[in-house]
Amino acid sequence: MKPSLLLSALCLTLGCAPATPPPTRETLVLTGTAYDRGLQHGTQLRSKIRSFYTTLMANSLFPFLSREQPDIATLLKEYEAERYQNGGFARELLLESAKNLERDIGRNGRDEMRGIADGSGLTYDEVLILNTFVDTTLAVRGIGLAIRQGRAPVVESVEFLGVGADGRDNSGEGAVDEADEGVIKPYVPPFFAAAVEVAVDTKLRVVFADPDGVDPQTVRVRVNEGLFTFGDPALEVVELDATRVQATWTPPSPLPAASVVTFVLSAGDKRIIEVPGPPRASFRRDEELVVTTQGAGLAPRDLSRPALTDNRTRPPPFVVGARGARAADGPLLAHSFALLDANTAHKHTVLLVHRPDTGPAYATVGWAGIVYGISGLNERGVGVACNPSDTLDNSVVGSVLDQVADLPRAKLLASGLPVGFLVKRVLERASTAAEGVGALTDIAPVYGWNCTVADDQGGLEVVELDSDVFKQGQRGVYRYTPTDRDPSMRRYSSVTDDDVIVGSSYTRNVEDSITLTLAGQRVVPQRFWSGFFFRSRRVIDDVTRRVAARTEPIDVAWLESVLVTPEVVDRSDSMNAVVLDLRRRTVHAAMGTVPATDSPFVATELGR
Amino acid sequence: MRRALLWLLLSPSLAFALETQVLPQGAIMLDVGYLRTSLDKQWSGDRRALSLIDDIPRYEPGGGLQGILRARPVAEFDFLLVSALYGVTDALSVGVNVPILMRSTIATNLSWEPGDYQPQLGRKYSLEDFWSWAASMGQPRVPDRVVNTQFRLADIVLGAKYLLPRFEWMKANHFRWSAQLNVALPTGSNADPEEAVSVGTNLWELHAAGDVELHLAADKHFFVDEAGVYRLNLGADASYAFFRPRQYTAGKGLKNPLLNNNAFYVGDTYWIDPGDWFAGTVSVDVVPFIGPTRASIVSGGSLEKAQALPPMVTLSASYTYIATLQSDWQSNSKLWDWEREKLWQPGEKNVFKFTGTVSLLRLGVPIQLYASYRTQDIVPGRFTRPANVFTGGVRALMKFW
Repeated sequence: MKPSLLLSALCLTLGCAPATPPPTRETLVLTGTAYDRGLQHGTQLRSKIRSFYTTLMANSLFPFLSREQPDIATLLKEYEAERYQNGGFARELLLESAKNLERDIGRNGRDEMRGIADGSGLTYDEVLILNTFVDTTLAVRGIGLAIRQGRAPVVESVEFLGVGADGRDNSGEGAVDEADEGVIKPYVPPFFAAAVEVAVDTKLRVVFADPDGVDPQTVRVRVNEGLFTFGDPALEVVELDATRVQATWTPPSPLPAASVVTFVLSAGDKRIIEVPGPPRASFRRDEELVVTTQGAGLAPRDLSRPALTDNRTRPPPFVVGARGARAADGPLLAHSFALLDANTAHKHTVLLVHRPDTGPAYATVGWAGIVYGISGLNERGVGVACNPSDTLDNSVVGSVLDQVADLPRAKLLASGLPVGFLVKRVLERASTAAEGVGALTDIAPVYGWNCTVADDQGGLEVVELDSDVFKQGQRGVYRYTPTDRDPSMRRYSSVTDDDVIVGSSYTRNVEDSITLTLAGQRVVPQRFWSGFFFRSRRVIDDVTRRVAARTEPIDVAWLESVLVTPEVVDRSDSMNAVVLDLRRRTVHAAMGTVPATDSPFVATELGR
Repeated sequence: MRRALLWLLLSPSLAFALETQVLPQGAIMLDVGYLRTSLDKQWSGDRRALSLIDDIPRYEPGGGLQGILRARPVAEFDFLLVSALYGVTDALSVGVNVPILMRSTIATNLSWEPGDYQPQLGRKYSLEDFWSWAASMGQPRVPDRVVNTQFRLADIVLGAKYLLPRFEWMKANHFRWSAQLNVALPTGSNADPEEAVSVGTNLWELHAAGDVELHLAADKHFFVDEAGVYRLNLGADASYAFFRPRQYTAGKGLKNPLLNNNAFYVGDTYWIDPGDWFAGTVSVDVVPFIGPTRASIVSGGSLEKAQALPPMVTLSASYTYIATLQSDWQSNSKLWDWEREKLWQPGEKNVFKFTGTVSLLRLGVPIQLYASYRTQDIVPGRFTRPANVFTGGVRALMKFW
């Protein structure tokens, strides 16, 4: 015994024991006033807050967003000023927007951020940026993406050859071989099927157009598992003129009968953009067309998009809500959230349990230094989870519209309330889902979001939000419940009256933006430009199939199993996976790794 | 007292081939050696050979994985090692060891595994795309090869070795034992925190020896002739090496804004407590050829004394086991600390060394030539970096009466 005791003592003194990794997920219980809670948060996570700010903002997002400066400065000359040069663009832009957003955040939110600043040693401005960058970045990135799509080739027309004379109803409109059946011109990205009951030997013809010319060698057509590129005998690519290319795909073998077939189209232009690097053409996003072949017997709206396995897209965030007969043990909300990990967010995850002096206790699933989460529940049994939904009907576009008379001096400026603060409002105020929806909708969001609110009494509602800068008459609020029906009398996004599946695209607010040309840039609805649109439609269909196939009541374990299904997990940017058990006031959260679902679900009871 | 150079040594530094070797009183030994070391891997906790640098996944913010940047660096160093040893008494020698890094060459051997498809590019990132992307954010490309020919001083080591008094049975059985203390002066440098590829020259960064080392050694001769020259020696050494905590400056991204910008959360400075070492060595020295002997100035004109001089050829082999303790980073960020500490957990080195020595003392020339090769590849270690070292040098022996 003596030698081992001696050895142990020696080891304790010298440090034989290996170091242990610090936790990548934390749970903090915060009490008192908003400032007190912020101070506790800032003090306890001081190290992580500083590393999160540096690794995510200073080392990743600031330089990345600053790449947009040359492009944006061509339109908005104000950004040619000295302080936006040399990498200062992103920080200045985010700070200016943060200051503008600060007004709407409210005193409690500001006090909490001040507490974090005091506890962590960050400046208040840095904490403010950290708490507002998500929405502002999404809006600016959305504008940048729309601009890039605006200079990429457009799909001028799509035609399924022979469909107009095949004696079948291929549009689901109840008529056979009507004029232009099988032709989509002008091209509008289909929300549901592009055509149904097409022949198995149907050819596809697509015309791409671009003022800079379409590079024929970049034309790419994928049909289910088959890829056809320039030079493939099945893909005939013809330059119609200096600005248009026609691609005709002929099936090398018959398409599978009575099946769903996915076509993915893309092309790039002839103008190579050198700055910022890397040099590249402007590429049309992958346009997805889904059809059924003869014998499938499905209407366009009944088609379910199959999974794509070409590793070109990643599943976006989604929510599943269940109540009543579908959730025998009580209402549940499941959330898969993926957006921006950048190899750092997963190291800084934190579940915050707030026990304020006044108002209900609540828990949010978020990150160090950020006062909110994108999902959470309160002790009154109300839960909420939100997904981004790209839109040009956002506050930053609104700021440009407000300054359109003086574009050279105009700035990109976010306004409204960031989604995390909307989530906080729900949790701080609501006792029912309806009250939660009210808290979400009485102030405009900075960007587009789909929020699902539920309560322990069975309240379940989805709110699709935009900033309503085009004054379309709905105040940017589009609501539906599982029982609501669209004009075709189908549920918006539910299998039964007691469930809902929500993705990262609008289901009701499909005309989220009007169509106009602003300073030479086309402003169009989400489905024309968003990189989320098709993949969101696909993940909704995937999860819907799983919910439909579930014959047993939906419970926590089953929802967790859905969230970790590889087909719906973004392996690069998954940030957290959460199941909110509203009856038991329990948060089941997987986080702390990327993807988050590589971590186990850990239950945290909030209590009543 | 005119003394033959019998004890003038077999090794220039304080780490003798014979574990217990010391100089006779008043003798001075100068040694100039050349060391070439090469390092291309680290041992994992389960003894697998890994790259010296972890894979670096790079992400496009919100755009998924750009790709994985893989470096398979090979580092080569050329050292000049100048040593001097002085016999204070017949039982006590003191010395100084001055290592100078003459040239460092680091080939980064970067490669790239493409990540997610990037819609805005119409392709996945290639390595060229990645560096172009990085350049757009102010991050210069890491060079494929970095050569530094500026002479830089490493930590100077001062040492003293004391031949412990021998009992009669020790003498009768050709058994010797000694104690040795080495102390390093902090004359080496830290790696430049702003450079993407940089090496420091302090003992911790070279991972060569402790700041303070205490050795207890023993030798047993076999087949000893009348002059006292052995044909076989078995030796052993046990040591403890202490490393002092070191303060480092964190990078502020002045040259590499994406790679070396961590001072804000790590702190302007941070500390490393390297963790100490325990080591044990066993060695064998074989004399295949004693060689011709003649009386000369080296032996004071005495043939009898000349016959006691070291043999012309000695071949040595040794094995050293070094247990390394956990290295502890202490900064403002435990996450950052862990990213480093996980590579420097308690581990071990298994060092084999083979040495050949040609001594011209018996011929009247006070010169010894030696060459050695030290490798850590034969038996994989754990959580250490196995540098392989070739050494060649010459020793000159003097005595001032």
